[in-house]
Amino acid sequence: MTDKALSPGNGDDGVALLAVDEFLAWGKEHSLFYLLFATACCGIELMQTGGPRYDLDRLGMIPRATPRQADLMIVAGTITHKMASRAHLLYQQMAEPRWVVSMGSCANSGGPFSKHSYSVLNGIDKLIPIDVYIPGCPPRPEALIDGVMALRHRVKKYRTAGIRDRDPHVVAGGDCEFGSHPGKDS
Amino acid sequence: MTIEAETLDGERMTLSMGPHHPSTHGVLRLIVETDGEVISRAVPDIGYLHRAIEKIGEKLEWAQFVPYTDRVDYVCAMNANLAFCVAAEQLMGSALAPVPRRGECIRVLVAELNRISSHLVAVGVSAMDLGAFTPFLHGLAQRETVNDIFERLCGQRLTYNYITIGGVAFDLHPTAVAEIGTFLDELSREMKRFSQLITVNPIFRDRCAKVATISAAEAIAWGLVGPNLRGSGVDFDLRRDEPYGIYGELDVQVPVGRNYAGRHGALGDSYDRFVVRLLEIQESIRLCRKALELLPPAAAKADDPVGGWQSDASKVLRKPPAGEIYVRTEAPRGEMGYHLVSDGSKMPYRIKIRTGSFAAVGMLEYLCPGLFMADIVTVIGSLDIVLPEVDR
Amino acid sequence: MAKIIPRPKLTFWESLYFIEIFKGLMTTGAHARKNLIHGEFETRNYPEEAPKLPRDYRARHRLMKRPDGSPRCVACFMCSTACPARCINIVAEEADRTDIEKRPAKFEIDLLLCVFCGYCVEACPCDAIRMDTTIGVMVHDNRRDFVIGKAKLMDWNPADYPATDVQSQKAPGGSLNAEALAQFNGAGGASGAGHH
Repeated sequence: MTDKALSPGNGDDGVALLAVDEFLAWGKEHSLFYLLFATACCGIELMQTGGPRYDLDRLGMIPRATPRQADLMIVAGTITHKMASRAHLLYQQMAEPRWVVSMGSCANSGGPFSKHSYSVLNGIDKLIPIDVYIPGCPPRPEALIDGVMALRHRVKKYRTAGIRDRDPHVVAGGDCEFGSHPGKDS
Repeated sequence: MTIEAETLDGERMTLSMGPHHPSTHGVLRLIVETDGEVISRAVPDIGYLHRAIEKIGEKLEWAQFVPYTDRVDYVCAMNANLAFCVAAEQLMGSALAPVPRRGECIRVLVAELNRISSHLVAVGVSAMDLGAFTPFLHGLAQRETVNDIFERLCGQRLTYNYITIGGVAFDLHPTAVAEIGTFLDELSREMKRFSQLITVNPIFRDRCAKVATISAAEAIAWGLVGPNLRGSGVDFDLRRDEPYGIYGELDVQVPVGRNYAGRHGALGDSYDRFVVRLLEIQESIRLCRKALELLPPAAAKADDPVGGWQSDASKVLRKPPAGEIYVRTEAPRGEMGYHLVSDGSKMPYRIKIRTGSFAAVGMLEYLCPGLFMADIVTVIGSLDIVLPEVDR
Repeated sequence: MAKIIPRPKLTFWESLYFIEIFKGLMTTGAHARKNLIHGEFETRNYPEEAPKLPRDYRARHRLMKRPDGSPRCVACFMCSTACPARCINIVAEEADRTDIEKRPAKFEIDLLLCVFCGYCVEACPCDAIRMDTTIGVMVHDNRRDFVIGKAKLMDWNPADYPATDVQSQKAPGGSLNAEALAQFNGAGGASGAGHH
């Protein structure tokens, strides 16, 4: 089956499959199982978001210990050079469609360690594509939930042939310092 | 039940447990060699969270290092702040960095509150690893209240950056004393229910009792500190034996392990360490109440009642004279010591952090052989290992 | 080579475990009663019920404004020096008033780097940067949107801040703006009023 037959928004072709596709996307949207990938401080906040006060379960999100059962990888915490290959391996072990949320300053860009430390990877997006960034050190649970809600809008638009509304963000070989990504208003 | 590993002559299997494993409390990797279901060797592999915090300290000014101490032990960031600041103050001398009385009381208050929230995670997670999910949720619910209090106090939920060299950053807000009082009452009620739910439960007890028994002599020889050491019956607590701040006035009662599992257990087993943590929560509740009693009345901001930032910006630029010092404080995971070397310049010459979890991880290699594979999570949970403390 | 761990034999009642499970359920039941009958839910329905963050929460930064709407910042680089994550990028330029030497031509904060420690607020000698916006939730799907510049940092309304916050109320639109503006124009009015 070609991509074209399943591509969304074409209107005249693949109508029957489109309905099935939308149903599947709806299902995916409401049961984003997440991988318990907590390396550092943000892991505690991730744990508390899953805890009684914020309760990720009510969004259909259940923690999974193995990447093979997970749809969503929440990178919570510092990724060091030693951990980087493991993080990449975990991402590869996840089945498509897979989504990645970068949580907290360390995963986003190295945070307080980016400029001074010799052992910290400056941003997980050098390694794996990121769908949503959440700033904070660590982000509030509300921020994490908001990130997940933002992601859910994108999961809804996913179609079976691997078509996303747009490609996730990757920094190809670039650095995460000022200048490499232009400011919004200067 | 007896395990007789000698009779099994199956093939040895090497398993890599971690660095991504839900019950290794972070990114610890254990290379486990098993003989059937019995562990014959377990070698911890650390360094997956080595962020060079000690080295970063050499590039920052003294006061700038405090946010990094938050990240040395994020489960109890206040205690980590306190450890560094007490050490830096002693190096500077009380003339250069005097701590006001109100500041000292608030320090004890927040440090004990954070000890409570840290132990709640420790006992909750060790119960969760053994399959009891409910106590973990009850523990987290209480921890959220502590986070709320800290959020009002210093503006963050986890990495507080609150205790500074010379005091604490901000004074308590007007309703803080009442809020903390209400929380402590609620917590002591909740801890009774918590104990009912998990501590006296024979299923949980049998999973923990007689697992990874550490004798007092072994604990001392391996350099265990904090609740792990006290769980083995060694009566040693820096808050009482080497008091810093106002702990000397507080008459700290130190709970020690004394074979709480009765005929099922032995002195110094995982169950003892679990119960010691629960008893320390009770003790911290008492210390918090006492610190609230001792709290001097609030003064005007201009009088610098807590030694905070706002009163005098030049305080940030204080630097100690050349010299070195090792100061240890009692964090929830035991002795947290800072070895600071100053060459008289505005930045530290060397910072070395000694933490409790490092000793505990080192002991895993000794404790695990002979245990069931399933008991590893009991051992890791009862030793309460937090990985950034190990890797720094 | 393996250590032998003798486990005690349980009595009949102990081996049932049944009573203990029941006791545990009692505790869970007590919590369920608290939830169902008294309605004291621990859970907050976050996206539906917005949280009320305290004003002291170290949230997204804002730049304070002079009475004429220009930033209070004098581009002294104190905040960017104090910042542990080095997330503040300032480019200074000469101001067009006689009583103010410099002003920021560019003031950028990379929120992806920021660790919200509050040191920039403490370091600022002229109360130009604050973290009291109570905006704790910022989510985007690309890096560019997180570098916020002067325009976004100064996009705040004095009406959202308490009346006791004198500095905020002196900004344009604030309750104390009129008299502050008159004073401001009088003080350094030699070469015209600001640069807006």
